[in-house]
Order: sequence, then structure tokens, then C-alpha cells
Amino acid sequence: MSERETVIELKNVDYTYQAGSPFAAAALHDVNIRVRRGTLVGIAGGTGSGKSTLLQLVNGLLLPTGGSVSVLDHVLTPGMKKPRLNSLRRRVGLSFQFPEQHLFEDTVEKDLMFGPLNFGMPREEAQNRAAEALRAMRLDEALLKRHPLTLSGGQMRKAAIASVLAAGPEIVMLDEPTATLDSAARRELISLLERLCREEGRTILMVTHRVEELLHAADEWIVMHEGRAVFQGGPDELAGRAGELGGWGVAVPEQLRCWREWTSRLPQLSSLPMPRTAEEMAGAIERAVRGAGGSGGGPEREENLCATN
Amino acid sequence: MRDKLILGRMIPTGSRVHELDPRAKITAMLLFAAALILSGGWAELAVLAVFSVIVLTATKIPLRTYLRALRPLRWLMLFVFLFQLFAGAGAGAAADSAAWTLGPVTLTAAGLSGALLAVSRMALLIVFTAMLTFTTTPSMLSRGIEGMIKPLSRKGSTGAERFSLMMRLALRFIPALLEESQTILKAQAARGADYEEMKIKEKARLLMSLLVPVTVGAFRRAEELTTSLEARGYRIGAPRTSYRRLSWSGADTFFTLLFVLLLAGTLTMRLML
Ligand SMILES: Nc1ncnc2c1ncn2[C@@H]1O[C@H](COP(=O)(O)OP(=O)(O)OP(=O)(O)O)[C@@H](O)[C@H]1O
Ligand SMILES: [Mg+2]
Repeated sequence: MSERETVIELKNVDYTYQAGSPFAAAALHDVNIRVRRGTLVGIAGGTGSGKSTLLQLVNGLLLPTGGSVSVLDHVLTPGMKKPRLNSLRRRVGLSFQFPEQHLFEDTVEKDLMFGPLNFGMPREEAQNRAAEALRAMRLDEALLKRHPLTLSGGQMRKAAIASVLAAGPEIVMLDEPTATLDSAARRELISLLERLCREEGRTILMVTHRVEELLHAADEWIVMHEGRAVFQGGPDELAGRAGELGGWGVAVPEQLRCWREWTSRLPQLSSLPMPRTAEEMAGAIERAVRGAGGSGGGPEREENLCATN
Repeated sequence: MRDKLILGRMIPTGSRVHELDPRAKITAMLLFAAALILSGGWAELAVLAVFSVIVLTATKIPLRTYLRALRPLRWLMLFVFLFQLFAGAGAGAAADSAAWTLGPVTLTAAGLSGALLAVSRMALLIVFTAMLTFTTTPSMLSRGIEGMIKPLSRKGSTGAERFSLMMRLALRFIPALLEESQTILKAQAARGADYEEMKIKEKARLLMSLLVPVTVGAFRRAEELTTSLEARGYRIGAPRTSYRRLSWSGADTFFTLLFVLLLAGTLTMRLML
């Protein structure tokens, strides 16, 4: 990958909720992170590890209590006079962890238009964007006139994500977007994010509890543990440190477990990077087995063995 | 919003005051409020102030924290001050002793003293309420109230228990609702409607828009909570073991007596001076 410009950089960031009061609760300690334009970043970590706090620092909803946060052309530092952040937030979208706290208007359409209108788009364009975002999330346009709180959990989640996409942000941040979706919708969402990233060059940050659902798509991973960013690196590096994941409160993804089993049995595999998909993994194993002289079982068998999500 | 609201949450320091029976603390609070209301002038107020500083120190919570509890109410206190000042000025002007005149308004030394007295009383009352909530968890507080009204209600009536459950739920819901409103405001800010960057008219519209989701959220939570209470076998009037029994000890009697004396002292001063 060619060197791309850094769009998000956190330097020695600390964050404490209700700092200075008797209820102060430290959430982040000395976090150093760097994200380049056009990458798809997965953020994993146990509950309470600071993932949501991290996302809220990036679009200035929270100002750091230590260190500095640079996002696009803004630099946020502790105690600074609260800057006008709308120009930043137009370019950095955030879909919240709980969609029912995200939607508030009396129709879905108004909710989808809320962001675009705030960012100064004309009405008509906002309306088009709303419909377009809804289609991108594969929701029926009939929902536009419904009250958001009458939608099902999955529809509400999709509508909330659509309300972020409608404003067309360069950086899209999603806090556990797959939590209330079924597995088909989850896969669909992730391929949508991949499209936004690969074809439109947007930067995507996605928090998830299920590393496996994003392992094939993410360029980079950040692992949070007890308020610290304990890991930032590519999927291969993550695979190499699979043993530490448990201690960080992250379940070892199925593909990694499977690949580890295979590499321990077929040492010739261990020099290869971890295949991203089931098909690639089956192919790599097939080649290794054939190359070792054995005729081996067909690729179908391995594929079944490693079937994921 | 939430960051500034510190009234109404317990601060554990493990002091003797924390361990007192909630009934003793509530009684003391009532006695203190009575003494405040009955106090007539600066002398009584000085005694009450010294007394409360001693009690506040005993809670091991920094005095600074108590002052912070006053902050959200500073405008209300200013209003009370000005109101008393001008209301008092009208009465004072007739009874001569005009101190200085400012346009149509005449201020008197008596009016000023009366207004300061009113604000000081109010501040002491707030600080004392803060003391109660800083040293007692909401559930202990409501259990204390339940324990105090139970002897007053008819035998076999579930009124006290109902009241206590209601209090406990309310105390649990208020912070939850505040938090929920704050999250929605944040979500709106993320989509370009930053409350702090808005004009007053837009602010009003935004706050109105919170009403529906927050109310719906509250009902949903209430429903979930009652279902889960029932699922866990809670029934009003059913015999139940409290997992933390209230127990009245010597310290509680001592603490309450202290406040009885305080009230008696204030009354005597008022009558003598
Ligand atoms: N408004 C708040 N006030 C005080 N403390 C908070 C607040 N929000 C979060 N925290 C604390 O900050 C820490 C990090 O919280 P955060 O929400 O960022 O975790 P998370 O990684 O998103 O967890 P989850 O996976 O459960 O969503 C936690 O210890 C939490 O208790
Ligand atoms: Mg979270």
C-alpha cells in the first residue's frame, strides 16, 4: 500500500469523564493512534475498554483531557476554547452504539435529512440523499414516512447508519453497527462499508465485538484494553498475536483459530500470511498439501472445516 | 449537563456519617431545616453555620465539593437575593433608615441584611441536603423514609412500601433520563446540530425534539423494569427480607439529639435576643 496521508492522529491522549469532580472516571490512558485516508479500521476490545469514548473524541464530541487529537485539519487539545466543530462533523460521521438514542424526529425521512440540512444542503438535495442512503442500507422507501421508534431493532439500526451516510462524510465511524443485525444483514453492511472504502476512498472506523465478521475486510486493527490502545496493526500482525487476544477480552476469531490449527499441522504454511477468506484458506492448504506430495482431500473439505460466519 | 450535576449521588469516603442510620440523618435534616426557618437573625445563623461546618467536616468530603453543589442553583440564589432586596426595600423605605438611593430604587441597610440572610439560609439548606445525598445511597434513603412512615400508616396497609418503591424507581430513573437526553443531544451534535453553537430558538426546537424519544424511552424502561421485578418475584405486600436491615445504634441517637439541641438552642436564642 502506498503511503497515504494521515487523517486521524491521537497523541498521548487521556480522557476522564467528569474530570475534576468527585465522580471522575478515567476512560482512556495515553492512547496513540494513527489512521490513514481510505483505510478500513476495525476496533475491538472488551466492554468498558474505551471504544465508544475513542470514537467520540475523534469528532470532537469529547475534548481530550490530555494529549492531542488531530482530525483532518482540526487539532483538539485539553482546555481549548470550544471550537466550532460543524465543519469537522460534516466530514466525520458517527453512528452511535444505540440507535434508539440516535433517532429522534417524527419520521424516518426527517431524521435522514437532519444531518444534510444542518450541513447546509438545499432541501431537495437532502431529500435525494435521504432516499439514496436508505437504498444503500437496503431499506424499503415506504419506511420514510414511518415513525423511527416504530421500526424493528434491525431496521432502526440501518436507519441510524443511513442517517450518517446521508451527509456523505469522508470518515465514517460506526459503534457496534452489527450488534442487532442478523447475519445476512451483517455481511451486507460490511460489504457496503468495503465499497465505500475501496471505491469511494472513504476512511472507515468500525467498532465490533466480533472480530471474525470484519477480519477479511479490515486493513488495520486497533485493540483497546482497559482504556489503552494495546494493539494497532494489520490483520497478519493480529493473527501473529492471537494468543494475547483472550487476555485483552477479545474472543479469538474462528478463522484465526482454524488457521493456527492448520499451521501447527502443516508447518510449511506458517510462512504464509493468513488468508482472508475461506476460499483463499482452502486454496493455500490445498497447495501446501499437494506440494508436500500427498494427493490430499479436495478443497471442499477444508472449506467446510473452516466455514466461518 | 450531567458533568455539572453532582447533587444526588453518594460519595463514598467511609466516614462515621456515612454509616449512620438513614432515619437519623433524615430526622436531623428535618430538625436542621426547622432551625433554619425559625432562626431570626445573624447570631442564630452563625451558630447554625458553625454547626454545619463541623458536620460537613465529619463526612470527610472536601468542603469544595459542597460549594460545587451550590453552583447549579446560583441563579436561583441571585434571584432570591434581588427579590428580597427590592421587596425588603419597599418596606424599609417607609420605616426610614434609607441608606442610599439609586434612581427610583432605595436600598436600606435592613433590606440588604434581610436579603443576605435569606440567601445564606437557602445556601445552608442546599448544602445540608447535599450532605444527606452525598452520604446516603438512594436505596438507603428511600428505605429510611419507608421506615419512618411505616409506623404512621394503618396496620396491614402497603402504602409505605408502595411509596418507597416509587421513590426508589424515581431516584433510579432521573439520572437515567438525564443521561439519555445527553446521549441524544450528542447524537444530534454529531450530525451538525451542536447545542452549544446554536441560537436560542433552535435550542428550544432541539430540546422539544427530545421529548418524544426520552418519554418513549422512559416508558420502555419502566415496563422492562416492572417486568423484571415481577420475574424476580417482587410483589407489593409480600413478605420479603431486606438485604440490609436498618439498625438504630447509639451513634444515631447521639446524632439526632445533637440536632434536637440545635433546634432548641436556636429557639431559645430567638426568644431571648
Ligand atoms: N458518561 C460517562 N460518565 C462516566 N463514565 C463513563 C461515561 N461513559 C463511559 N464511562 C466509562 O468509561 C469507560 C469506557 O467506556 P466506553 O463507553 O468508551 O466503553 P466501550 O469500550 O465502548 O464499552 P462497550 O463495549 O460496553 O460499549 C468505562 O469504564 C465506562 O464506565
Ligand atoms: Mg461502547
